[in-house]
Amino acid sequence: MESIVAEGLTKRFNGFTAVDSLSFTVEQGEIFGLLGPNGAGKTTTIRMLASLIQPTEGDAYVGGFSVRDDALRVREIIGILTENPSLYERLSALENLEFFAKAYGVGDPQTRDARIKELLQFFDLWDRRGDRAGTFSKGMKQKLALARALVHEPRTLYLDEPTSGLDPKSAKDIRDLMERLSQREGQTILLSTHRLEDAERLCDRVMIINHGGAVSVASPRELRQRATGAHVVRVGLREVTRPLSDAAEAAEGVKALDVRDGALFVTLTDEGYTPGLVRSIVDAGGSVMYVVPLEVSLEDAYLKVIGGE
Amino acid sequence: MRWSKAFLVFRKDLSEVVRNWEVMAPMIILPVIITVLIPAMVTLVPDSMNGSNNANLMDTIFPNLPEADRNMLAGFPEAQQMIYIMLVYFFAPFFLIIPLMVSGVIASDSFAGEKERKTIEALLAAPLTDSELLMGKILASFAPAMGATLISFTLYTVMVDALTLGRFGFLLLPNLTWLVMILCLAPAASLLGIGATVIISSRVKGFREAQQLSALLVVPVLALLFGQASGFLIMGPATLLVLTVLVLVVDAALFGVGVSLFNREKILSQSH
Repeated sequence: MESIVAEGLTKRFNGFTAVDSLSFTVEQGEIFGLLGPNGAGKTTTIRMLASLIQPTEGDAYVGGFSVRDDALRVREIIGILTENPSLYERLSALENLEFFAKAYGVGDPQTRDARIKELLQFFDLWDRRGDRAGTFSKGMKQKLALARALVHEPRTLYLDEPTSGLDPKSAKDIRDLMERLSQREGQTILLSTHRLEDAERLCDRVMIINHGGAVSVASPRELRQRATGAHVVRVGLREVTRPLSDAAEAAEGVKALDVRDGALFVTLTDEGYTPGLVRSIVDAGGSVMYVVPLEVSLEDAYLKVIGGE
Repeated sequence: MRWSKAFLVFRKDLSEVVRNWEVMAPMIILPVIITVLIPAMVTLVPDSMNGSNNANLMDTIFPNLPEADRNMLAGFPEAQQMIYIMLVYFFAPFFLIIPLMVSGVIASDSFAGEKERKTIEALLAAPLTDSELLMGKILASFAPAMGATLISFTLYTVMVDALTLGRFGFLLLPNLTWLVMILCLAPAASLLGIGATVIISSRVKGFREAQQLSALLVVPVLALLFGQASGFLIMGPATLLVLTVLVLVVDAALFGVGVSLFNREKILSQSH
């Protein structure tokens, strides 16, 4: 089931095209990453999908509601972590969450109090619940802002740089939470991030956007493969000799071969040629210690996609 | 419009306001000056009601007072007549500064301040309509402004009556003129302050800039003050009711413009 459907989403500001005809779908329970350099149009895309700003052209449907025509319904069913924590710094953590819980229609006081307590305890903020948000560290503010986005248990979450400013332990907790929300509770997450390791670990698919347009939509694995255009394996041998490297090079599907660090780095046209490669080396008398598929990192793939655009 | 949501925004803004000394200080200092220091100075400082300047003021204001006031004051010495004119007529316009300034300061914090502190995006992302947000913020400016005005008027009345009862033998305040001013013109003036600040806030980025510009709203009040001092305009109940209607017409125009300027897209683009 589709949670978000964008159809030709376009936003222009005084003649400048910030988002250009974006069309994509996000399935229920999917973690969908938005990647792109600064000014690529990620935040504008999120703002349109949150019905904060109107598209100049096109439309998007969130939970079946049009961001153009059903803005209030869209805002009711989403939770959003904005670029800035956007907290009321003179109000306490508890007051911040109570205000937004009521604004999002969590009317029953018992349900509201239980939900707020659960979130503040999860984010290790329960003991500081009465303190003004302005006294919190950057990481604590980020956690409180995330708690605010979750307070009404939305089916769809938009997270703009959720692990920004967090220490490694807190960042891991947030990543674990996102996985749990997606996998166990079926929440759809639209994640805009500069942290490619977050995107790689969490996202089912990512969309790389640049100059407002979609450059690529694929899973992180597909993106990496597209970036290399081939499959590279590292073959560790007990001893690397010329006959063995010649045998490997002559194997079917081998595009290129490199010998370094006591191992063969073999570029195959398809990963299905890997068993044949191993067989050729063994037939030539080689002792294969290990075979490791090598992939470029998502960062390399991202830079290649952005750079080659 | 869901009033419960508007009241939610109202309560949130009010909670913020009472914890902000930049907003609370003018709300406390200005009324104290007007309600305590002015009547004390006029009645307690020896000879403050004598001198050529005051004689000029008497000459210009006294002949334009309502006939009933002139008859009533005829039996009192000139210094006492002057105290009456100052406390009952001359300082009355100051009580329009309180609702104007307090509502202007709070509205500056509520509208421009939210942009400046970058809290506006989460608020705009919440499922609240434009009218609920606007009404909540208008109430958060209007209620404290009128509260401060009513408390100030009560304090002023008590101060004036306590200081003058012995001299005059009757209570100077409240009278019909003041009741019309506090209950009709002051609310209209407060709405004027809010309406103008909503427009100003849509054009500026910060709280202080909005506050400084909204402070210009006291200029028309000073015109009233000088109008009275020159004898050109004596603020009786009828004059005040006419002024109230005029200010309400301006309020309606300002709110019309203000609502059209309350554009989420512009607000967001200015908050970054």
